[in-house]
Amino acid sequence: MSGAYYWRRLGYALITLFVIMTLNFIIFRIMPGDPVSLVLSPEFTPEVRQMLREMYGLDQPLWTQYLLYMKNTLAFDFGRSFVTRQPVLRELLARLPNTLMLLGTAFVLNVVVGVVLGIKMATRQGSRLETGVTGVSLFLNAMPSFFVGLLLLLTFGYYWPIFPIRGTMSVPPPTEFWPIIFDRIHHMILPVTAVSLSGYGSWYLYTRNNVIGALGQDYVLTARAKGLTQREVLYRHAFRSVLPPIVTLVFLSLPGLITGAVITESIFSLYGVGRYLVDATLQQDYPVVQGCFFVIALAVLACNLLADLVYGLVDPRIRLR
Amino acid sequence: MRRLVTFVMVALLALFVSGAALAQEVEWEARGPYVDEIILPIILDQEAQIIALQRGDIHVLPGLAQPSHIERLEADPNVDITVSPGYHMFYLGINMRTPPLSDVVVRRALAHVINRDEIILSLFQGYMLPLAEFVPQSSPFHNPDTDVPEYDPELAKQILDEAGYVMGPDGVRIDPNTGERMRTMTILTPTMEVAPTSAQLGVMIAEAAQAIGLPIVAEPLDFNVIVDRITREVDGGRNFDMYALAWSLSRFPTHLYTLFHSNFDVDGGDNTPGLRDPEYDAVAERVWTPRTYEDAFEAAFEAQEILSWLQPYVPLYSRPYMDAFRSDIVTGYVPHLGFGAASDVYRSIWTPLNIRRVDQERGGTIRWVLEEEPGNLNVLIGTSAYDARIFGLVYGPGLITSEPVNNDDFPWEAERWEVDTWITPEGNEGTKVTYYLREGITWHDGVPFTAHDVKFTMDYLKEQQVPKYKETWDNYSHAEVHDDYTITVYFDNVSYWHAYNVAGFLAKHIWEDVEKYDEFEPWNEPHPTVPGLTKMIGTGPFVFKEYVPGEYVRVERYEDFWAGLDR
Repeated sequence: MSGAYYWRRLGYALITLFVIMTLNFIIFRIMPGDPVSLVLSPEFTPEVRQMLREMYGLDQPLWTQYLLYMKNTLAFDFGRSFVTRQPVLRELLARLPNTLMLLGTAFVLNVVVGVVLGIKMATRQGSRLETGVTGVSLFLNAMPSFFVGLLLLLTFGYYWPIFPIRGTMSVPPPTEFWPIIFDRIHHMILPVTAVSLSGYGSWYLYTRNNVIGALGQDYVLTARAKGLTQREVLYRHAFRSVLPPIVTLVFLSLPGLITGAVITESIFSLYGVGRYLVDATLQQDYPVVQGCFFVIALAVLACNLLADLVYGLVDPRIRLR
Repeated sequence: MRRLVTFVMVALLALFVSGAALAQEVEWEARGPYVDEIILPIILDQEAQIIALQRGDIHVLPGLAQPSHIERLEADPNVDITVSPGYHMFYLGINMRTPPLSDVVVRRALAHVINRDEIILSLFQGYMLPLAEFVPQSSPFHNPDTDVPEYDPELAKQILDEAGYVMGPDGVRIDPNTGERMRTMTILTPTMEVAPTSAQLGVMIAEAAQAIGLPIVAEPLDFNVIVDRITREVDGGRNFDMYALAWSLSRFPTHLYTLFHSNFDVDGGDNTPGLRDPEYDAVAERVWTPRTYEDAFEAAFEAQEILSWLQPYVPLYSRPYMDAFRSDIVTGYVPHLGFGAASDVYRSIWTPLNIRRVDQERGGTIRWVLEEEPGNLNVLIGTSAYDARIFGLVYGPGLITSEPVNNDDFPWEAERWEVDTWITPEGNEGTKVTYYLREGITWHDGVPFTAHDVKFTMDYLKEQQVPKYKETWDNYSHAEVHDDYTITVYFDNVSYWHAYNVAGFLAKHIWEDVEKYDEFEPWNEPHPTVPGLTKMIGTGPFVFKEYVPGEYVRVERYEDFWAGLDR
């Protein structure tokens, strides 16, 4: 792939970013109400509402608001949340580690378990084991994550209370290094399990189906005819051919790691991005939603570009073009 | 039979509620605290909160709302639930600007078909108090003798018939003003997913209205859309017929002014029904600016009489505060009329002062859940109930508070106060309040709390035009410090409520250097002279120690608290 190709892709990405930023500004302003009118209190008189609108800059003409928003957002200055009056970027960065810890761990588990299980079961197509694994995976994949979360909460939080049910640390937290690490792990087991149980199934099914398809191809037959071992046929030929779409999928899934898992975060009281974003959307907290969606858009665009790059690395046919 | 069961259930709850809150045997002391520390772990999910209480991870769980949760905890021998009537009103709001709802006959007929007892029994399993008046029962300003439309569908039909709204051939009444079938009217409610009981309640009212020929349907909508439609003016009116929502009210009946005076029938104003009644306006103004408590009382009663007749709202029920405690671990909690035992620490300091562990008379730790993340612990910014819980512990209730049994005034940082009038430079009459502060009150860093702090707070709020405290500084003129413990505060107009609006929660020696109050984060900045403290210092019973976002807030007993056990 030529350098011109990448520059072109970069150009498209920038145009996309501009469109996303503009839509991001418009969508929340055409929604009914505004952040001030949503506060219902008998003490909240029209004068107080007007004072808050002025404080938030909502009394400015839309065009002025838009230009200010574009200028500040590109400088990663997302302003202060209307609700908490704290800098959005700081709040976002404070919440990101928990979300990454939850979704990053669950993502790695999902990919590893799903892909490995998918490859293994593809070679045992039709067996009782494969039928069982596929059935369970489909079942878990179809279960809503809140249901899995609540089930885990009740089972391991109440009936057999061996895990903490909230947060990422004990209250008060331990003070030494290893106890801190173990405490964190202990707290993350239930939420990570909740996300993983309802998430690995799609990876499993995708890999299994693709490997089964690959195993029926002529080049696999040729490899077998050459006398290669089952392991070599599976990993060097069949799996190799399904690797590029899996890699693409991995990269396209990466931005999801920062959008958060709102339900799991709520059930296990995790200070994460998902809940932050949903609350901000419901409260029409413009600076927060604009900041968060900008960061997510950047991540999506960056990961798409990265997927293009890596695709070439794992697929020689593309590299040679 | 069903009505009888309903009546018995509701009567029992009413008895339970009044028994819990009004009983003279409620034990409380105006001194404390007994415990060394309160940790407030943040637990967002309601199911997790219940489990945490049952596991003993937390000892105090305020604000139970779901009947299934209440029943589960009631069945737990280690859990005690306190019940206190709250300053809460769930109501059906009616747009009086357009026919046929502009006709009081139609509004009253509608009110007559609403069976509050059945709603409470079927949707809340009896855990609500029926409310037909415009001030909740918990308030001394509640007028129980107004002409409220009782549940009586036959009477509803009769008054509609007599007013000419005769039944049409298709079961829908004819509007006598147009001679045509009444138009279909809608009740806006939150959606089933967001507030299932409110959505169901809308359906129940609509069905009851249809049964007497009023073509009313329920329309569940997104909350933001409802708020937009009921508060925004469209072509001089508002784009709704009815809606079902709730208000959290305050100790004083000032909502009778802000919710129904014609001044607030403006774009963004809270007079959503569009009530414009000169007679009512005059009474409401007396509620807003009474000269004395007695004036306020009289005006509030009159206002309720007018509202009960006009029915701009149909009040439906009031939610009592139900707070759960691990009774095998803690004791000494105090149900406060109107504020609950643990729900509103900002207005009720009695439980934090009196709560103690069962296993030790003094000392130890209490775990009191925070159901949401605090938004901002700057007292000039934070508005959520969860911010307020921390503020209540750290700042205390201020100059005047109320005792828990009858909600009578209780001197706190002010030993006494005198309300009088003065003539403003413009020649108008205004209120002046002289406070005699207690000696020996100190901020958490040991600096004495004086009249200078009160004057500074009032001046600062006014100079900075802090929106959250607009009611406090709006009519504030100036203050005169007579000595360290005596101050007179002057207001530009006359209102008895001004005495309760004066505040002194800003430590002058900390806040006088703060130029941009909305960017100040006192809980994140170390105290300039005292190690281990932040700039978030108050005069309340607990010292703020730390807030770990997403995890917990921790406060410790203030050793030199002026009402401490050793003082």
